[in-house]
Amino acid sequence: MAFKCPACKKQWDVSLQVARHIFGTGDKAHRAWIESQGESYADLLVQQATTPGNASYETVAKLVEKAQDKL
Amino acid sequence: MTTTSLAKQKLSVINTHVVNIDGIAKVTGRATYTFDVKLPGMLYGKILRSPHPHAKILKIDASKALALHGVKAVVTGKDTLGIKQGIWRRYQELCDEQILPVDKVRYIGEPVAAVAAVTEEIAEMALDLIEVDYEVLPAVYEPMDAMKKEAPTIHEGVERNINVTRHIEWGDVEKGFENADYIREDSFFCGGQAHMCMETRAAVSSFTPEGKMTIYHSNQSAYYLQALMAGVLGMREGDIRVIAQYVGGGFGGKFELDGAIFCSAILTMKLFRPVKICYTREEDFIATKRRTPMHYWVRTGVSKTGKFLAREARVVSNGGAYTGMGATALYLTGFFHSFPYKWGGYRYDGYRVYTNTLPSTSMRGFGAPQAMFCSEQQLEWIAADLGLDPIEMRRQNGHTPGYEVPGQAYIDSCGLDEAFDIMAKWIKDKGKLPENRGIGFSAAGFMSGGIFNWFDTPYSFSSAVITINEDGTVILHIGATEIGQGSNTTMAIIAAETLGCKVEDIKVHSGDTDHCPADLGAWGSRQTLMTGNAVMRACEDAKHQLLEFALAKMGLNIVYDLDIKDRWVHIVARPERGMPWEELVKIATRGKDGQRIIGRGYYTPHRKGMISPAYSYMLQGVEIEIDKETGKITLIDSLTAHDCGQPINHLGLIGQLEGAFSMAAGYGYLEYMPYEDGKLMNPNLVDYKMIRATEMPETPVAEIDTYEPEGPYGAKEAGEGLTNPTAAAIGNAIFHALGIQMKECPIRPHMIVNALKEKAEKDKTAKKGK
Amino acid sequence: MEKKAIVLNVNNQDYELYINPKTLLVEAIRDYIGLTGTKRGCETVSCGACTVMVNDMAVKSCSILAIQCQGMKIITSEGLEKNGQLAAIQNAFLHEGSYQCGFCTSGMLMATSALLKETKKPSKNEIKESIEGNICRCTGYNSIVRAVEGVANGKYKEGSL
Repeated sequence: MAFKCPACKKQWDVSLQVARHIFGTGDKAHRAWIESQGESYADLLVQQATTPGNASYETVAKLVEKAQDKL
Repeated sequence: MTTTSLAKQKLSVINTHVVNIDGIAKVTGRATYTFDVKLPGMLYGKILRSPHPHAKILKIDASKALALHGVKAVVTGKDTLGIKQGIWRRYQELCDEQILPVDKVRYIGEPVAAVAAVTEEIAEMALDLIEVDYEVLPAVYEPMDAMKKEAPTIHEGVERNINVTRHIEWGDVEKGFENADYIREDSFFCGGQAHMCMETRAAVSSFTPEGKMTIYHSNQSAYYLQALMAGVLGMREGDIRVIAQYVGGGFGGKFELDGAIFCSAILTMKLFRPVKICYTREEDFIATKRRTPMHYWVRTGVSKTGKFLAREARVVSNGGAYTGMGATALYLTGFFHSFPYKWGGYRYDGYRVYTNTLPSTSMRGFGAPQAMFCSEQQLEWIAADLGLDPIEMRRQNGHTPGYEVPGQAYIDSCGLDEAFDIMAKWIKDKGKLPENRGIGFSAAGFMSGGIFNWFDTPYSFSSAVITINEDGTVILHIGATEIGQGSNTTMAIIAAETLGCKVEDIKVHSGDTDHCPADLGAWGSRQTLMTGNAVMRACEDAKHQLLEFALAKMGLNIVYDLDIKDRWVHIVARPERGMPWEELVKIATRGKDGQRIIGRGYYTPHRKGMISPAYSYMLQGVEIEIDKETGKITLIDSLTAHDCGQPINHLGLIGQLEGAFSMAAGYGYLEYMPYEDGKLMNPNLVDYKMIRATEMPETPVAEIDTYEPEGPYGAKEAGEGLTNPTAAAIGNAIFHALGIQMKECPIRPHMIVNALKEKAEKDKTAKKGK
Repeated sequence: MEKKAIVLNVNNQDYELYINPKTLLVEAIRDYIGLTGTKRGCETVSCGACTVMVNDMAVKSCSILAIQCQGMKIITSEGLEKNGQLAAIQNAFLHEGSYQCGFCTSGMLMATSALLKETKKPSKNEIKESIEGNICRCTGYNSIVRAVEGVANGKYKEGSL
């Protein structure tokens, strides 16, 4: 199954890739989508920068998966 | 040489002994640097600098300074257009620096006002008379602190002070780690480094009533400076002439706007008299930019035979107050951290964070020395942990010709495999070492110029114009900038080879925006390949025009072709038949109705990905001795195995490699920039230690013969890339000598002493345990 | 401070200067006489870019007052060449590639010239020690050492290229 980016509708096979794309783009639209899901873009970014592992991306990947039905 | 050998001989100038064409000027004191420029009526400028790391500028009162006899003008941010500029012009949000800030300073040493006076001494005295009211703001110096919620905001609207992030990923990282037999995680810190060009930042600007500006400036890219100055002065590029003829070093620190060029320009526009500003050494340390300090976290997964299955790296870099070239360094460190290996899966996340310290930017190696310090040491430790041969472990994962770094880069030529052979032999021949000595080596690779057009230039990346005079002498105009790396000579060699004349026939004009075609300049190891291609094409264009006349004149059967070598125009199959170069040039000039033969060439990389058209490869070996009592490191010997494709300028190549070694070794164990409360503690050459003659070991170079199809005559990068492996090689030598792992560079004596103590404690405990 | 008239002999030429007594030799050479081959790279007598020969000895010209050098023979990099013929050390620098940006070169030439005046066959260590006070950011020094060795062993002679 393919996963679409809720902000710009680009799609990838893996939800984690969509999460990486959202962070990588990091423009207003993508930030706004994360904030609209009740998460802080800045907090997630800092968490990813300062702690080992991939928790921030996984959090966003889950949000992306949940959002797929509504796209 | 007999003429019959001409047809067979492939190259007659390239890679021969050619003395640098600027050499006479440089060894006789004739070369005039910006530092030496003196114009009629010239005034001297000085810059008042912020004593605070973070403060609002409330008011500047210059009335007392202006009253001082001999002072001609004082300018502040209010005298400028207040344009926020940056070299990443393509991205507005990364243009974040006003060279004379209007309302806020963000690091100690940032310009606040500039004075012009009849002497430097008076200008200096005037600085003390300028009164500035500041509202001091809370400051933050470390990126980890700057990302905290409660940290002060350095740039309005930039959340958590995160300036840029970069993400690179290919392959299946998760699967790689799942399949790994061994996973190792390490954290590192790589410090900053001063470019420390022997010529400090210097500019002489002269604005004249017709609205034209001429600027002598010590820089690495006359074209960039012209374009950037046009932007901040609200002028047309063509109305600004930037001249950078002799430049006293660059190393990545001289292609952005600096206080010297900007303030001298603002002053001359007010006064219509030339204004010269030269930085003191202290100013050069505290108020230019520096190599980017980086916190690295690396996790690597390998199979038990040493196959590189996955790597994940995370970097938080100290960006200092502004972006500069930092965005590029942040990307390249992540890219080259994978080098020169094939990874099953690779992931990099880089964060550049603003702090109230000296901005960080590009410096020779462009993020890769930091990347290699972490990567190559961790790989060495992994080999030791698994009992694998560190050379063979690396070799089985090394890049090979034809490899594609997934989605990133295509590798055409690659001499890495042979480099491993050379290094293995050198280490083996060393045999058993005396006590306290160790050998370490490190691999690296580097780019031959960047592709991504962040500057948004409308021009081709390199261009060249070659003009052939009626007497056979040749004038080459290139926009490339000669900063000591020898590009003028390299281009003269390429031109002589292509045209078939001699190096002494050619005059090279470079680094003058009025007279030379636009070229992005000397950074990212781009000139040999990119400008070299433009020069080769310009010469091919001119040569083609010449040979048309030779063919007509000689009236040959159509199956014969002609060539020119060593000023002899000849039939390739019958090299003894032909005519002298000067004769053909005369005929052609007459045939063109008196026009001089002009050849034009340009180069912009296409279909080569977004990073670089070609990559160099190298291994650096070092032998060191360590005093266990004091932790002092002595470099004993070294070996460089290097693949730069076809060498062009042999003397220049050796000089660049030896020079890269000294700068890179300095980064490894000497060059340290300690900050306290945002203030650099050693901004002078007594306390900032670097390699001196007595500390240099022998630096033999083993050249590896490869051919890079994208480069002129098969050439690619040399001289910058070799800054990358050395710090790691020193770390690895320490590891093999003493069994300690150094995770911070520069590796300073107390760190070695402490690590030895810790190791002794650990060994003791382990013994007791048994 | 009251200005004084002094005579400096630079490259076998007398120059009459009217200067402040605290003027450094490097300032006199560069700013008053106008010989800009001698450079400056620091304010702490650490870099050696301003090295000249004073009575055949290598001296950092930022470490001495011009007034102290009256009656002495000062040679700068411009004074090495004689009627278009280069000194052996200049030829050696050219052929060994002992310079890149060239900003330290004058100082290096004078430091090594002074060494060769004092010691005809210096050892490698003596050569390195003679330029320990001179920073070169480009070459890594070894090509400079090779050039001095080349002069000492007769490989390079004075004359044109």
